[in-house]
Amino acid sequence: MNLVQLFLAVVMFGSLFSVLTLSLNLQYARGGMINFGTVAYFAAGAYAYAIVTQEPPSGLDQYLVGLHGPWWAGFLAAGVAAMAFAVLTGWPTLRLRGEYLALTTFAFAEMLHSLLVNERRIGNGTVGLANVERPDPGSLGLPDAWTYAGAAFVLMLATALVFRHLLASPYGRAIDAVRDDEGAAEAIGKDIARLRFEVFVISAVPIGFAGALYAMITTLVSPDLFTAEVTFFVWIALVLGGERTILGAVLGTMALVGFQELVRAIPFESVRAAEIAAAGEDIVTGVLFILILRWQPFEAMMKRRRAA
Amino acid sequence: MTRDLLVVDRVVKRFGGLKAVGGDDGLSFAVPEGTFLGLIGPNGAGKSTTFNLISGVLKPDSGAVMLDGVDLAQARASRIAALGLGRTFQTPRAFPSLSVLDNVIVGADNEGERVGMAFSGRWRIRERALREKAAAVLARVGLSDRIGDRVGNLSGGELRMLEVARQLVRDPKILLLDEPTAGVDPSLQVKLSKILVDLHAEGRTLIVVEHNLHFLLRIADRVVVLQNGRLLSQGTPAEIKADERVIAAYLGADHAA
Ligand SMILES: Nc1ncnc2c1ncn2[C@@H]1O[C@H](COP(=O)(O)OP(=O)(O)OP(=O)(O)O)[C@@H](O)[C@H]1O
Ligand SMILES: [Mg+2]
Repeated sequence: MNLVQLFLAVVMFGSLFSVLTLSLNLQYARGGMINFGTVAYFAAGAYAYAIVTQEPPSGLDQYLVGLHGPWWAGFLAAGVAAMAFAVLTGWPTLRLRGEYLALTTFAFAEMLHSLLVNERRIGNGTVGLANVERPDPGSLGLPDAWTYAGAAFVLMLATALVFRHLLASPYGRAIDAVRDDEGAAEAIGKDIARLRFEVFVISAVPIGFAGALYAMITTLVSPDLFTAEVTFFVWIALVLGGERTILGAVLGTMALVGFQELVRAIPFESVRAAEIAAAGEDIVTGVLFILILRWQPFEAMMKRRRAA
Repeated sequence: MTRDLLVVDRVVKRFGGLKAVGGDDGLSFAVPEGTFLGLIGPNGAGKSTTFNLISGVLKPDSGAVMLDGVDLAQARASRIAALGLGRTFQTPRAFPSLSVLDNVIVGADNEGERVGMAFSGRWRIRERALREKAAAVLARVGLSDRIGDRVGNLSGGELRMLEVARQLVRDPKILLLDEPTAGVDPSLQVKLSKILVDLHAEGRTLIVVEHNLHFLLRIADRVVVLQNGRLLSQGTPAEIKADERVIAAYLGADHAA
């Protein structure tokens, strides 16, 4: 792997996962909601894209639906699917506070994961969907990697701009008020259930789009791409970058992706060395997580709530 | 005859078996439109609980609260606020991540708080007017020079006035203030009493809980006295000052003179 490839991989996956971090940032830092099921909205988007674009089943396929639609239809469907899953999971859970919301969103994500594994008619179970269609990037006259890195970057920029636009409006002020003190916000007529639900659903949409793009890049969707590891990865990136700013969320994600791609890019002489490197990566991720727990941002949030 | 803007009808609220509000028949009183009602009583009498029951923070175990003819039994606190009820809390509450000015503007009903409006950017036109209105209200409560400040830099008394300002900017039909003078210095108390008198003169309905009777009884036109969650007495300030039971329970012998 040369430097250009490394650069492209970091931009591509860094931007892609930044979309998730940005959404989490909106939900958590501004909306005060702890979502530990982020991967589910990502998976919903990826599967929706695959199902809409792939060919109808044939041969050994166990999936039921393949619409063979154009890529943009799949892309839109991905946003809609993530949104629908947010509506479904947000409605019953958003009255829950703090760690309870974290647990239920986590449980919903696990449920979706085992549904994808066990209900083979959705996506071939553990085998996954390998016939994901994608637009021909050659039409732009650029190599694949450049096109998808560019697309991911544009999606990230668009997400950041839309969120910033929303947060700079009175809407941002209202959700800040709700996060600071729900009781005082209700006393001035803020419908906190509506605001929290909207923030939750709105922030799921870009995650769905990112899922579609991810499916285009990997050309394969399978349950083991969408485990809780993705959720934790995004959380680590968020805390790494500082939860307060949009730029921080992006930089945190880029740094984490860069670190992973760097480890992957090291040419190993033996399988053993590669194994050690992979373990090292896991250890560093684990250490980061411990540091996060040490800082206890959740605790700090709970304190702010109680003090209010 | 003016109509009753607020009716509290046989309301009972228990906390773990103990009746915090209500006594045997429940608590009942009515507030005609335009009234300046003083709500007094010893510590633990149930004044703040009564505010919580009216504003929807708590729901009564039995009995009803009616605001402007609307039964509030099913209404959430935010809905009751939207119906025109404003309230402050005994412990002042503010939004620490917002500036002083935004702490007031956020009180105003704002079309920009709907997603579609937020994206269309049409709220910008209204925002200017809201800023001016909020600044005027802040001037009224003596916080002009703190407009751009962080809420964390305000003193206890200033926070209390900020909360009043946030409610005033909403133009509520009925305003409930829980101990507005607690921790507020004498000069600001004079300002506050002028504001309340002005609001009353404008025809607004007020309910004010106060232990500072010197402040309250001069400006209220009716008084309700609670003791142990029950209505001990009600009447004009003069009647209350002369009421034996109120003197015994709350005012103390000094006031009898
Ligand atoms: N959330 C609650 N849980 C349990 N008991 C409560 C609760 N809120 C109030 N109480 C009890 O209800 C009674 C009335 O309390 P409330 O705060 O209404 O009194 P108050 O008249 O406002 O007193 P003060 O003048 O001290 O503010 C008290 O005995 C109090 O301990
Ligand atoms: Mg009280």
